[in-house]
Amino acid sequence: MTNALATVIIVVSLLAAAHSLWSAWRDRAMGVPHLVALGVLEVLLITQAVVGFVKLSGGEGPHGSATFVGYLLAILVIPPAGAGWGLLERSRYGPGVIVVACLAVAVMTVRMQQLWQGTNV
Amino acid sequence: MSDRPEATTRSGPGRLLVAVYALFALAAGARAGVQIGTRFSEAPVAYLLSAVAAVVYVLATVALALGGRTSRRVAVAACSVELAGVLVVGTLSLADASAFPDATVWSGYGRGYGYVPLVLPVLGLVWLWRSSRADGEATAGKPATAGEKPVSAGKPATAGESTGDGSRAA
Repeated sequence: MTNALATVIIVVSLLAAAHSLWSAWRDRAMGVPHLVALGVLEVLLITQAVVGFVKLSGGEGPHGSATFVGYLLAILVIPPAGAGWGLLERSRYGPGVIVVACLAVAVMTVRMQQLWQGTNV
Repeated sequence: MSDRPEATTRSGPGRLLVAVYALFALAAGARAGVQIGTRFSEAPVAYLLSAVAAVVYVLATVALALGGRTSRRVAVAACSVELAGVLVVGTLSLADASAFPDATVWSGYGRGYGYVPLVLPVLGLVWLWRSSRADGEATAGKPATAGEKPVSAGKPATAGESTGDGSRAA
């Protein structure tokens, strides 16, 4: 896990959350921009998972790494799940789901940074 | 706001609720999996509670997402168990910290999760109650299923009570 990548992920997820919140506020359903944002986020998360596993296998990272690996894998599920569940709802609550998903990704990434650095465990 | 013709538990605000429930099902499930898989003997009670919490969240998620009459009952039961769980475990974890050497989702009233575990079952029960009133109106014209005690259809007093009902009936 690298701090630069984690920061990018947090910024992108917060921007996507803000954009979706704006859509929900204006009573719009989910559209292509939301899907693109989630796609970008998912690519970043996959990159993070690959980097994380490479570094873990190189002996870096937190002491008991099971929790960290759990986060690394569980976070991958969130953007696709949010996209699918949000697309089924043709109202403002579709982007609302994306807000929840993106905030979850941001919070989980902060938690992963804490685990990686061994602070606040 | 939620004046949709078919007000099931999964549409409208309910979709948001199911999303948050799914998130907590994932969080509690992953936590229980890691705890039980790696160090079960350290704090079996706390880790079993984590697993119970995960099962309850999964049940609530699935029941709210399906949204039939039986699912509605399962969802009410799951939300109630969840509310009781977060209150009891929250109180115990503060009163007798030695009994909970490691945290669960419900420890400290869900402190580690921004107190969402405390708020979520309340929101769930309010949403189930509100949407059951809406469903009762929508299905008021249909005959009730034999042998089942309809939760909402038997309350004619609720029809037309709230202000938004006129548009749906028209």
